[in-house]
Amino acid sequence: MDLVRDCLDKPLEDRNHRRMGRVDGIVLELEEGRPPRVAYVEVGVKRLMDRLSGRLGNLFARLARRYHIESEPYRIPFGKLHVGLNTVKADVDAEKTPALEWELWLRKKVIGRIPGA
Amino acid sequence: MSFPTGLKPGVNETTFNAEMKKILEIALGIVTSVGGFLEIGSITTAAQAGADFSFQLIWAILLGGLCIIFLVEQAGRFSAVSGRTIPDAIRERFGFNYFALLYVVLGLVSLLVLAAEVGGVCIALELATGIGLLWWAVPVGFVIWLVIFKGTFGIIEKGVSVLGLVTLCFVVGAILINPPWSQVLRGAAPSLPQHNSVHYWFIAVSILGASISPYLYFFYSSGAIEDEWREGHVGINRIIAIGGMTFGSLISIAVLILAAMIFAPQGMKVEHYTQLPMLLEPVFGHKGFWLLVASLGIACLGAALEITLELAYLTAQGFGWNWSENQPPIAEARFSAAYTAIIILATLVALTGIDPLTLTIFSMALTAATLPVSIVPFLFLMNDSTYVRSYKNGWFSNAVVILIMALAFVLAIVAIPLQIFGGS
Repeated sequence: MDLVRDCLDKPLEDRNHRRMGRVDGIVLELEEGRPPRVAYVEVGVKRLMDRLSGRLGNLFARLARRYHIESEPYRIPFGKLHVGLNTVKADVDAEKTPALEWELWLRKKVIGRIPGA
Repeated sequence: MSFPTGLKPGVNETTFNAEMKKILEIALGIVTSVGGFLEIGSITTAAQAGADFSFQLIWAILLGGLCIIFLVEQAGRFSAVSGRTIPDAIRERFGFNYFALLYVVLGLVSLLVLAAEVGGVCIALELATGIGLLWWAVPVGFVIWLVIFKGTFGIIEKGVSVLGLVTLCFVVGAILINPPWSQVLRGAAPSLPQHNSVHYWFIAVSILGASISPYLYFFYSSGAIEDEWREGHVGINRIIAIGGMTFGSLISIAVLILAAMIFAPQGMKVEHYTQLPMLLEPVFGHKGFWLLVASLGIACLGAALEITLELAYLTAQGFGWNWSENQPPIAEARFSAAYTAIIILATLVALTGIDPLTLTIFSMALTAATLPVSIVPFLFLMNDSTYVRSYKNGWFSNAVVILIMALAFVLAIVAIPLQIFGGS
């Protein structure tokens, strides 16, 4: 598998086929005397900012800390993933993960309070 | 209904129904494209072109129309075959950094165009009621939000576009005013200006910016997914793209003809929106005033709905959120929050009091200046068999995309200098 071509930036779905974001980052583990191993994929704005520029990532993390917002990306072990042609499927329940934290907050606090939503 | 003997009626009926459904789908698609084609940008740029250079800039509308036919056809084909939208594939194929560039550039330009469309609806309401246009910005913003919040994709795509057919009054007007058709035909061929060449090229660039709007082909791509198009829609898509965009361009040409016949002989320039009703009044009398108000209001409202949705689609698709105008807002809270924020921002821009006509011309030139960012990916995506399988571009389509790309790069280089030196 070509990790960048086949996995990075692909849409990510949970076990109920719910969209939970995209593969924003890939974490490799390096151990001496062993080939690199794909450990996790990451979902989160901080990792996207890091990809644009390290400084931007740090700035985002500082701002998030100031407003007590968790900025670290959510990690999914690679073993829980199935990399398909169009999507990457994760064997998790998206609503119980930080990947949908903002979605659920907006649903509960903002959009859900509008009549007819 | 009778069927030829010797054939199973059930089979024939199914074929007949399928054929009728296809024809209806094509007709509705073309009506949607025609009704949704005209907006403040195409009306203003065509009217300015006609007033300042008579029929001489018809070629620019035709060139823009030809470009948008190819881009819309390819966007529809891509989505029908791959089940993906263009922005979705751009993020995946070109990575986040390119997507971020596209998102920022297209987001800013589309926001300005959206503010101009909000301004267009406000102008129509001011003309109709006499109440100043700034008073209308918030109510118009609210109506746009309400239609998206409560409506479905079908209501927005087809409902508003069918109403938008009122813009065909420009075509009727252009025929009734009986222009010198030989001169109209001569305008279809590019020619050099006899006077004020910088302004001539600035208007030409603005017309191209108004015609080749990225929101049109990105929205069309998302619409193909919303309408659940499949591989079998490739043929229908081609007919809709060619038919819809051709007829749409004809309406823009009709606006130019009316301006050339009414404004140019008097040496009038289109400098203020209160002049717009004069496009139809000489032909239709006082009814012309109301036809202009209805055309402007509905066309700009339709465009504002499409641009708002397109920006929300772009955001949701790029970041992998749930998105669909056919889902209840609560099922996709981030998507709903995105279009709400977009409408608030555009309304705030409209509330600054910038003259909507100035904002329109500026945003059309800016659209032209940023075209390469959204057009370059087409060449790669439409030749990637992992997405479009056997429906890849042939040599002709690729040659046309390369020509459009070259045109986009030229526009990107000249648009801002022309804006500075020829914008007034």
